[in-house]
Amino acid sequence: MSKNRRKIGVLAALVLVVLPVIISIAALCIGRISYSPAQILSALRNGIAGKELKGAALVVWNIRLPRILLALLCGAGLSVAGLAFQSLFSNPLATPDTLGVASGTSFGAAVAMLLGFGMIGIQLTAFAGGISAVVLTWLAASGKGGRSGLSSVVLAGIMIGSLFSALVSLVKFVADTETQLPAITYWLMGSLSGAGYKSLALGAPVIIIGIAVLFALRWKLNILPLSQDEAVSLGANIRLLRVVTIVCATAVTASCVSMCGQVGWVGLLIPHICRMAFGSDHRNILPASICIGAAFMVVVDTLARSISAAQIPISVLTAIIGAPFFILLMRRSGGESL
Amino acid sequence: MTIEVKNGSFAYDKNGDKMLFSGVEFSASNGDLVAVLGPNGAGKTTLLRCIMGMLKWREGGSFIDGERIDKMPPRTLWRKLAYVPQARGVSPNSTVFDMVLLGRNSRIGAFSQPKKEDIKCTEEILQQLKISHLSQKSCRQISGGELQMTLIARALASQPEILILDEPESNLDFRNQLIVLDILSKLAGSGMICIFNTHYPEHALGRANRSLILSQGGSVFGNTAETVTESAISKAFGVRAVITEAETKSNTFRTVIPIELSDGSENIQSASSIAVVSIIVKDRSQAEKINKILHKYSRYTIGRMGLPYRKGGKETSIINLSLDAPDSEVATLVSQLSLLGGVSVKATYAQ
Repeated sequence: MSKNRRKIGVLAALVLVVLPVIISIAALCIGRISYSPAQILSALRNGIAGKELKGAALVVWNIRLPRILLALLCGAGLSVAGLAFQSLFSNPLATPDTLGVASGTSFGAAVAMLLGFGMIGIQLTAFAGGISAVVLTWLAASGKGGRSGLSSVVLAGIMIGSLFSALVSLVKFVADTETQLPAITYWLMGSLSGAGYKSLALGAPVIIIGIAVLFALRWKLNILPLSQDEAVSLGANIRLLRVVTIVCATAVTASCVSMCGQVGWVGLLIPHICRMAFGSDHRNILPASICIGAAFMVVVDTLARSISAAQIPISVLTAIIGAPFFILLMRRSGGESL
Repeated sequence: MTIEVKNGSFAYDKNGDKMLFSGVEFSASNGDLVAVLGPNGAGKTTLLRCIMGMLKWREGGSFIDGERIDKMPPRTLWRKLAYVPQARGVSPNSTVFDMVLLGRNSRIGAFSQPKKEDIKCTEEILQQLKISHLSQKSCRQISGGELQMTLIARALASQPEILILDEPESNLDFRNQLIVLDILSKLAGSGMICIFNTHYPEHALGRANRSLILSQGGSVFGNTAETVTESAISKAFGVRAVITEAETKSNTFRTVIPIELSDGSENIQSASSIAVVSIIVKDRSQAEKINKILHKYSRYTIGRMGLPYRKGGKETSIINLSLDAPDSEVATLVSQLSLLGGVSVKATYAQ
């Protein structure tokens, strides 16, 4: 292959793919009770073979594995969604929440908790909340002619986002301060403790399909930052490309947030880290975002559940770990890739 | 292949009371290099956007081989036609290579990735335009001229038969202007149809075989030599200008010297003063041309003295011309004469 295609390089690509796997296995070992990698492997083997689960295998299969799968999915999903939004709006500050998805999802979850729904009920209501927020944003942005400029979409997103934030506050205000309010507040800070196979079965397909579509479109995403005229003159159906990107990124975000609450920073940090490390070609940075995002989330969640007896909210940790690392990278690269 | 505009009209307002331009007609076929000439705000860029279907014509339409452009499927259209936008504004932070590779988009399926042939084609075009050395640089770190070349390369990557460029030379220095214009001449020479916007009449005169002048809602189209005339420039730009010839050892160029504003009363008339223009002519064959030019200034001429001088078997003519004329006229005369080969000229003004 020619030197012109700046590829990530075989070694780096291998590391990127293997990284989440190794970190996941390590994360399976770590916890209240530590296991050796050999124990983990035999537990996994027993589970796959369909033997009765006992001791270590029970903990690994029923508690740690779903949680790590959730972390992998949400890390990858939020990173890819953040990357897509940043390219779509040519704005380094865009996050998965730019169109109000996360606020809408939070509102859905808060309402569900107020009404005393179960885990799955909360997840479904939250997802519906996120999708309706984006639909509202889209309706607000498209004027009479139905032609919406991207900046009016962003503005509408900010408006709808703050509207739903206000509604979340309202729900908190009327919530029972003994039981509901702490639950809502804790959920809003993000936690993967609710992970289970049932909720994964519901949320994972959306995330996987969304990521898969964006992955298939990865080269076409390079067109997104161009101006309308330029994109059209390349023979691209830019409107369709934008809509597909928004639909995928929104669905992924809503599904992630409905399972693990508001996890800030990942969608902003990981794409930028990938840009600084691997340039601007989405054929490189999209796969890199998936791998690094997944690995990062597993690391953060493992810390969240093992640092102290009480589980630390994940948003707190993503910021505490992510921000200094990000600043370090930005200083080293001069921030040019932003 | 031919591209035509028939009765092209456009207005930004809804009722169409204020037409930006109307009744624009032109056609170009293989090998034509067409200049679209007009002052700022005449609607040059708008015209190009209408032609390509990015804006809707109010009346009329544009056609490729008789087929309406705005009815053509985008992927078919953009394999035949390529567009080079103005190299202004923020460009994405991608490398030059990735940017040019995007030009292959109309030939790559929705869920496909660029293949080896796309990479090869991109490399060839970078080489052809002599910008291979930039391929790994970011589009934000290269100069304006280099960015313009990158955008041209991106347009060429789709292997079009028609190339439309929006003021490709307007933000560039002398050297880069020449590089871009040379590329246009070369592409047209190889059979491509090139249409470019410009507000430099001399670029139309020097390069285009056909020109469209757009001004005040009207338009004129034809062979450049017949279309871009002193009176047409005066009408379109509101500037009195002289079209003259500049000679080099191998070639004669037609060029334009702007003199003064020509749009009526607001014009500030420069005061007339006495000046002496001294001319030394080494090449006797120029005598006739010089006489022709000087004849145009006879109404300002006070006196004229010419003396031949022979030195070492070579004859040199020395001409002294006294004028009572506006400074702008004298300056124009001097620049016109200095463009001729083997002529030295200087003006001295009375205090």
